[in-house]
Amino acid sequence: MDITQDAVVSLALPYRETLKINRTSFIGGGGPRVAVIAGIHGDELEGLYVCHRLAAWLEQLAETHPHALRGRVDLIPALNPLGIDTLERFVPVFDADLNRNFPGDPEGLLPQRIAAGAIAALSGSALVIDIHASNIFLREIPQVRINQDFAATLVPLAEGMNLDLIWLHGAVTVLEATIAHSLNSRGTPCLVVEMGVGMRITPAFTEQLLVGILNAWQRLGVLAPDLPLDAITHSPLLADDTNVHYLNAETSGLFLPTIDHWMAVRHGDLLGTIVSPQHGGTLSEVRSPVDGVLFTLREYPAVYEGSLMARIMATR
Amino acid sequence: MKTPTLLEMTAPLREDFVIPYHDFGPRTAPPRLALVAGIHGNELNGIFVLSRLAEYLQRIADGTQPAQQLTHRIVIVPAVNVLGVNTRTRRWPFDKTDINRMFPGYDLGETTQRIANAVFQATRPAHYRIDVHSSNLDFEEVPQVRLYEPSEDESASAMLFGLPAVIERTTDTAFTTTLGHAWRTCGGENFVIQAGRAGDLQLPHCERLFRALMAFLHHTGLVTGIELAAEDQDTHYFGLDQTLPLVSEHAGLFVTHVQVGAWLQAGALIGQVYDGFSGERRAEVRAPVSGLLSGIRRQPLLYEGDLIARLQTRVRLDGQRRTVRGQEQ
Repeated sequence: MDITQDAVVSLALPYRETLKINRTSFIGGGGPRVAVIAGIHGDELEGLYVCHRLAAWLEQLAETHPHALRGRVDLIPALNPLGIDTLERFVPVFDADLNRNFPGDPEGLLPQRIAAGAIAALSGSALVIDIHASNIFLREIPQVRINQDFAATLVPLAEGMNLDLIWLHGAVTVLEATIAHSLNSRGTPCLVVEMGVGMRITPAFTEQLLVGILNAWQRLGVLAPDLPLDAITHSPLLADDTNVHYLNAETSGLFLPTIDHWMAVRHGDLLGTIVSPQHGGTLSEVRSPVDGVLFTLREYPAVYEGSLMARIMATR
Repeated sequence: MKTPTLLEMTAPLREDFVIPYHDFGPRTAPPRLALVAGIHGNELNGIFVLSRLAEYLQRIADGTQPAQQLTHRIVIVPAVNVLGVNTRTRRWPFDKTDINRMFPGYDLGETTQRIANAVFQATRPAHYRIDVHSSNLDFEEVPQVRLYEPSEDESASAMLFGLPAVIERTTDTAFTTTLGHAWRTCGGENFVIQAGRAGDLQLPHCERLFRALMAFLHHTGLVTGIELAAEDQDTHYFGLDQTLPLVSEHAGLFVTHVQVGAWLQAGALIGQVYDGFSGERRAEVRAPVSGLLSGIRRQPLLYEGDLIARLQTRVRLDGQRRTVRGQEQ
């Protein structure tokens, strides 16, 4: 196994420095090539830690089973390194959501050059996993989000990923500018994983996803079929636009959840309250509209009227 | 009379949040014209001009301008992103979403979806709809009308403003959630106006834009009795293949002395790019063809691929780059 590091994009900055999008590659035999990418949004760190854990696992594999890597693994932990440097979700200076700039343009603005470089580096992979960590407001159970246009290819891949939820969503024009849509529409399967919360790391979710990724790679022939792996322990529920319920704040204030994330809830159960820091009363009680499981829960306490507090998948 | 509001909502601590607007003319009919600015809280030219226009229409409504008559109902929203104006923020300050990526909106959705819905519902009944923007912090635009896949009526009416340029553009997937795009799905005549640069108030651009809106009110008959000031310079219509963006292949410091609205000869100097460490000149930027300088970079720090200027050409350009997509609308 060879381990190499290079840059898939290298761009001069205005004063002296160079922006590099770094890639670590683990190169085994002539089997399929797969990739894990993260850090498209600079405030989402969960995927960076997944890349660290995968690198540690692969480095260990190089010592213990150097021939078990039959294909090639590319890790691109930060597609928006300037965002990570500046604690910003978007590409700084350009105020651009990198994940609305695909497929990009090698002669365009910086975000489009990054996008074009990423597409060039990833096209032709047997599987790309794009790890997101929600945002600073919402905590997500480990899940994969799939545009229904690509469901036939992606759902079978996602089912064995040790995740808790598969969310099939309708086609939205503006989402055609995401990296996942760009890769999938070019015939490179790309799964979007959402888990955890922005600006934090949730190690338990990382270990859960790690098992799913390694098992997926083994099924694809990237890892030797006889290599022992931890078994899959989670099987996903299937959510779609018909059974997902959104709970938006009916007034502004501080949201205090009264239940835990990823709990079964019943119609009418109290999920939390909205209170005012200016008096002792309760402004709003948040109750479940259905029987189901709560898979999104607000982490950031302040809410504005309309702020999302929870998502529940109805189970009947 | 109480100031009408598009939307009222609670806020976590300060007073309740409202978006006020102006409503002139007979309330019995739907508005004939809707004017919106300040969807981005740092785009001040449009806010200033629409507020000044409201002051003028108020004088007509009050009868202190007896020579002029308002014939139709007009609604004006000087600023949609009220909290953004007060905090000098382009986006909605709380969750950092861009209100102009939330249309057509949703009355039961996220905060900015609710704001978008309120703006859309209040403006969609109008026949003429105008959304005024001021580029971004980095770029200055000559006051211009932008048309996206326009109808014949829109192409004709766009000339009534008398602004230096009417520019056709294609619709990008990233712009399918803008107010302008939402309007186009429900007929009427829709215009995006760009004037100047965000984060600043450029009086000459504001004066030009004010005259343009007065000319539009006059030519459409929405206000009678207006005597237009001396005619502005010719308005030019530029089709899809008459825009040439100039893109930098160098990073560094960009310096320029040119002004938007100038007609440049082929070969004219637009600016220079310097290395900010060694001080050496890296490149000269010159107009490759003659044309109207419709926009110029005002941010000196330059990345590879950054937009330096836009030229509008009299001749059609074949096989050249026509779009550079930025966050300007």
